[in-house]
Amino acid sequence: MIGARTLRREDPRLLTGRGSYLADHDVPGLCHIALWRSPVAHARIRSIDTAAAAALPGVVAVLTQADLDAAGARPMTHLLPIPGVQPLAWGVLAQEVVRFVGEPLVAVVAASRAIAEDAVDVLVVDYDELPPVVDVHAALEFGAPLLYPEWGTNEFLHLDYATDGLDDALARAPHVRTERFESHRIAALPLEGHGAQASFDPATGTLTVLASQQQPHQLRTVIAEVCSLSEGEVRVIAPDMGGGFGNKQHFTREECLVALLARITGRPVRWSQDRGEGLTASIHSRPQVHDATFGYDDDGRVLALSVRVVSDLGNPVLYFSGVGPSLVTVGALCGGYAIEHHGWSLSCVATTTCPVGGYRGFGQPQSHLTTERVMDLVAADLGIDPAEVRRRNLLPDAPRPFIAHGGARIDVGPLGPQLDQLLDSFQYDAWRERQRAMRDAGRYVGIGLSTLVQGTAPTQYGVAGRGGSYETAIVSVLPDGNVTVAVGSKSQGQSHETVLAQIAAEMLGTTVDRVVVRDGDTALLPNGMGTWGSRTAVMAGGAVRVAAGRVRDKMTAIAAHMGGAPTLEAVAAEAWWHAHRLPAGIEPGLSATVCYTPGRTIPIPDAAGHTSFDETFGSHMTAVAVEVCPATGDVSVLDALLVSDCGVVINPMVVEGQHQGGFAQGLGAVLYEEVRYSDDGQPQCTTLADYTIPTAIEVPRLRVVHRETHSGTEGGFRGVGEAAITAAPAALAGAVADALAPLGVTITSTRLHAHHLRALLRAAGVEPDPAAFAIA
Amino acid sequence: MKHRVKFEVNGEAAEIEAEPRETLLDVVRERFGLTGAHAGCEHGACGACTVLVDGAAVRSCLLFAVQCEGRSVQTIEAFGTPAALHPMQEAFRTHHALQCGFCTPAMVLTAIDMLAHSPNATETEIRAALAGNLCRCTGYAGIVDAVCSLAGREPVDS
Ligand code: FES
Ligand code: FES
Repeated sequence: MIGARTLRREDPRLLTGRGSYLADHDVPGLCHIALWRSPVAHARIRSIDTAAAAALPGVVAVLTQADLDAAGARPMTHLLPIPGVQPLAWGVLAQEVVRFVGEPLVAVVAASRAIAEDAVDVLVVDYDELPPVVDVHAALEFGAPLLYPEWGTNEFLHLDYATDGLDDALARAPHVRTERFESHRIAALPLEGHGAQASFDPATGTLTVLASQQQPHQLRTVIAEVCSLSEGEVRVIAPDMGGGFGNKQHFTREECLVALLARITGRPVRWSQDRGEGLTASIHSRPQVHDATFGYDDDGRVLALSVRVVSDLGNPVLYFSGVGPSLVTVGALCGGYAIEHHGWSLSCVATTTCPVGGYRGFGQPQSHLTTERVMDLVAADLGIDPAEVRRRNLLPDAPRPFIAHGGARIDVGPLGPQLDQLLDSFQYDAWRERQRAMRDAGRYVGIGLSTLVQGTAPTQYGVAGRGGSYETAIVSVLPDGNVTVAVGSKSQGQSHETVLAQIAAEMLGTTVDRVVVRDGDTALLPNGMGTWGSRTAVMAGGAVRVAAGRVRDKMTAIAAHMGGAPTLEAVAAEAWWHAHRLPAGIEPGLSATVCYTPGRTIPIPDAAGHTSFDETFGSHMTAVAVEVCPATGDVSVLDALLVSDCGVVINPMVVEGQHQGGFAQGLGAVLYEEVRYSDDGQPQCTTLADYTIPTAIEVPRLRVVHRETHSGTEGGFRGVGEAAITAAPAALAGAVADALAPLGVTITSTRLHAHHLRALLRAAGVEPDPAAFAIA
Repeated sequence: MKHRVKFEVNGEAAEIEAEPRETLLDVVRERFGLTGAHAGCEHGACGACTVLVDGAAVRSCLLFAVQCEGRSVQTIEAFGTPAALHPMQEAFRTHHALQCGFCTPAMVLTAIDMLAHSPNATETEIRAALAGNLCRCTGYAGIVDAVCSLAGREPVDS
């Protein structure tokens, strides 16, 4: 069962259109919300005239933050518990100042979304424009326009870290180089946009919120806080979700707004994000600039790595904002390499752009780009093969855990053999020969590598100051012998109904089709942490395994008492129907509730000053071969292979699907996608015609090879979902750099789009094809 | 002002009063409760709203309901049930061609339409035909495999 390619239990309903997503929950009297969003990047509001909007037939209410305040709304905060972070709280709607195009200022509730939008069109908002600040470095300059003048700066957070002797090590290193690496702004873009729907039952005082949300229990807490309700009065249900990818991990203004409006109007209300809102006013991700200085010896060993990270937060009015991913970035800069001396500074900066937050990978693609580019540049400088440079720098095979800078307990399997397996499976040497032959024939072919060591199943304590690292599960064997599993994690497409059923079925000795998995409802369980951070297999899988094990042990005791070899159905009937016959001291029923933690994180510094945020690590090594057309800048992937070690593989089909999908997103990010702003802060990507995600034509097949190094957590699982999206940008950047090296082009950013490559080629003196030049 | 529209939905005669600005997507979802057609962009770019009109795959967000007079509309709900999947749905399941499932009904309908016209399509043709339907989860490999299997093709790049 564990390890089988079990077909998915969720598929039949999703394939036949019977999935039930947020907008599929019409109820009688449902009203819809549309928002007046700022058309300018920075402005002080002078007045809002709602009269014409309120007078439109079908309009139920037109509200500003003043109305929400009057109804008892409480402010939202970023919850970041980090010393030195600037103070910041905000209303569910903006009030005096708007700080990005798309910031919501007025809410309209109407009988239909169309009427609500009509009403938004006739709102009259008078404002004085303030100067925008879009570029993150400009925002740090003296005299820059300030988003929050009370801070006296746009820097929201600054942190530093360095090992003793870092400067000396850099000074003494035989070779030292400094480079700037940049990750550009993108959007996660789940195909189903965000959304929420709420209804308030005055009879019971219960507020029920449907939300396309990765962490329903945590949203319950936030909504209770913002709406001045007790947690028992709020039920959050996350129905089927059309993707999440971190975009639906944050607790948004709109979710809280829907909850407030249901209470204020007494009507069921829905907000369904449209694609324009999704691209401009939801969450962006990744924008960081790294200035890396690295020292290395003649053998290619990196002796010291110092990185200054500048992270663009947009307007940080978002739970944990871009700070959360940035903290992960600086913690992962050495990746899977043993680099003796290390330091970083982190500057998180507010700009008048859409809030920046999580996207699958969560800060790791940026650190991984830097780490892997460093290895490639060292290799190029010294004329050593990049695979060999990596081998010389990888973490030693022992001890485990390897204690990284800052204290992270890295528990991966031996990396040298995994690298061997990658080179062998990819036929690296053959590819190098083919590359030489193709180069001789005038073709620009490159090979890129990624040796990713990735923290998975992290504690949330570091960014929320509460919660931590656990998951809750209830496993029950029902009187007829069928099994139910309830978990606090929430699937957005990751196949939880199947893989968690595989775990329960294996533990209980039954079949997967007799197990029903339910998630995404705060009424199922007291608390849960949701799905993010590649955590569900480790945390929810672990919880299900422990709970099922307890039920199994009880069944074993009852069966022994019954005598013979009773079937599971007979034991279940005995436990629920014939309680008087149970052995002494055994409670009736077959159900176990478990709040599981592996207990391996260190969320606040211990006596040694160590923190460790991940329960376990995965190791994933990737090789890609690409060809770049120097005339057009087009990149074609010729081959891609990933050697995956996520510990015990529950369902290889699902793991391969996670890697293929993550690879497509990582490839899309560097070849096709970029969120762009004009200098005055106007978003340039407002439709899917401007923000182009890859189609079936552009995405190549990723070959996946499995290896299994058991983790020390329950069941031996390691997280996997964020591996390929983290590996792809670094591997592709390495491959494109390798392809274009003969032309004197250096790659230092994730911008590998054709037009960017054409610009680099021209700057290197390559005459592009005239037709391509025309469209540059 | 509302307009009377007579058409056929999943084999049954239907008659509605529609506002000029109501799209076919609005109508199948809100009037007929056929929520297998999804709003992914409402501007013709993602394909998640695909339905068949007179047997051909169209984007229901780009078609006004009033344009459907006299036409026959089929949604995913007319193809297979959870207990008895259509062969294309069965192939999708076998090849792990879906994760969140939001793109899936539209992808299935597009694939059915495509194979109806070219039953022995090559992988390249299949990829081109599916390129109007975006999927953010799967990276398309399983989808391509599923359609190739019904076209009697081994995916060449696997
Ligand atoms: S919703 Fe119709 S194409 Fe996207
Ligand atoms: S399966 Fe999620 S968008 Fe295709």
